[in-house]
Amino acid sequence: MTRIKHLFPAFVLLAAFLGLWEGYVALTGAPALVLPAPSDVVNGLRVEWDDIARHTLATLGVAVVGFSLSVAFAFIVSVVLHFSGWLRRGLMPLLVASQTVPIVALAPLMVLWFGFGLLPKVLLVILVTFFPMVVSLTAGYASLPRAFRDQLVSMGATRWSVFRRATLPSARTQFFSGLRISATYAIVATIFAEYAGARRGLGIYILAAKNNFRADLVLSAVLVSACLTLALLSVIAGIERITGRRYRRGAHA
Amino acid sequence: MLEVRNLTIRAGAEPLVKDLSLSLAEGSLTCLIGPSGCGKSSVIKWLAGVLAPELTAQGRATIDGVLARFPHHDIAYQPQQDALFPWLTTVENAALGLEIGGMDRRAARARVTELLPIFGLEEHEDSFPDQLSGGMRQRAAFLRTIVQDTPVLLLDEPFSALDAVTRLRLQDWLLERLAERPRAVLMVTHDLYEATQMADRVLVMTGGPGRIVADIPIPTPIGARSETALAGTRSTLKRMLLKDTS
Repeated sequence: MTRIKHLFPAFVLLAAFLGLWEGYVALTGAPALVLPAPSDVVNGLRVEWDDIARHTLATLGVAVVGFSLSVAFAFIVSVVLHFSGWLRRGLMPLLVASQTVPIVALAPLMVLWFGFGLLPKVLLVILVTFFPMVVSLTAGYASLPRAFRDQLVSMGATRWSVFRRATLPSARTQFFSGLRISATYAIVATIFAEYAGARRGLGIYILAAKNNFRADLVLSAVLVSACLTLALLSVIAGIERITGRRYRRGAHA
Repeated sequence: MLEVRNLTIRAGAEPLVKDLSLSLAEGSLTCLIGPSGCGKSSVIKWLAGVLAPELTAQGRATIDGVLARFPHHDIAYQPQQDALFPWLTTVENAALGLEIGGMDRRAARARVTELLPIFGLEEHEDSFPDQLSGGMRQRAAFLRTIVQDTPVLLLDEPFSALDAVTRLRLQDWLLERLAERPRAVLMVTHDLYEATQMADRVLVMTGGPGRIVADIPIPTPIGARSETALAGTRSTLKRMLLKDTS
């Protein structure tokens, strides 16, 4: 009930926006080639569902594989950076600088280097989603209260034991924040990678629909990609809720 | 039991504590009092092996005549904050020291569970720190320190965050625990009343740089420590501290 109450204003605003859009198209008679009405988008989705579903599964597969590898890779790198001050000081500025590169613009090069298979798309998803997680994790590690560390060190804990028992649990909130940010990029990055070259996927479907002047189908695919991102975020929220009962307690002593 | 000789702690080139020497005897509770910033907590943190990284220390310490390096397995430390991990239950928090010391997790938690009634926490075995009152949290922190069964205890203002009534109760309670198993205790405090009520000896530190200027024994037995009996000692300590901070 509280959740419905919380989401109610968003639903009202969304309904108002779609109503205005539908009304504008009906009143002005805007051609469907340029601006299809929301009802046309939903209708396109219904008619083309089989085809869209096939491409959606391909996109989802790439996004899940790329995102999972990215999470694992980000975790390993963050741990290495945590234990090596020299590497951290050397690598962090380079990682920050790397974000000035428009990574999605590298998509055509990825296809050139690695072909049309899974690898270039997965690599692009990793490149796009890796950075927010590493930054969140390193910030999380740094947030460990000094008193917690001191308590364990005074007991004779090794650096690894301090990390496992206190640093890692302390970073949990920041880790999930980074995960959510990265998840929102994962589907977008996959679609971009498919744009650059793929046999299947929402990116290639959108490209084909655009070339056929089917704006309604382009928007149908966009709607599906938004739903995929929301589904990914819901899964993350679920994992956070299920695994984190004890970690939601008062952040720090 | 524990001897410290010529301890100097520096913040950069500036000495924070200079040429400090002290000794702790088994079965004694020694209080270290002094004005804020005189280096009391830094001394205790050095002994616990957790001196702030911006500080450097030079000095020599022995435990039972053997040169000691810190952290040391014969020393348990309780910081100013209770430092209970919010994601661990009372038992899990209290068993940390034993587990890190190498005891099997199940055995460590069983040992802690046995002691819960003595610490008044038997109904809070699975409670998280945010479900405990201030006094219970502090008792859980004491349990974590005492269960390690080390011959030396370092307590850094363990009662400072508590209300007056809880503080008085816990002071008596801690003395009972220490009477059950005598250890060498070094306790940092700001509170003259607390120092004279609990300690066998009071070491007075002055600031700029920190050093011990007086070593005052309190021969009156714990049970006979009335306001009248301690009035003279408190008055002396008060004069010393006020002189140093004026």
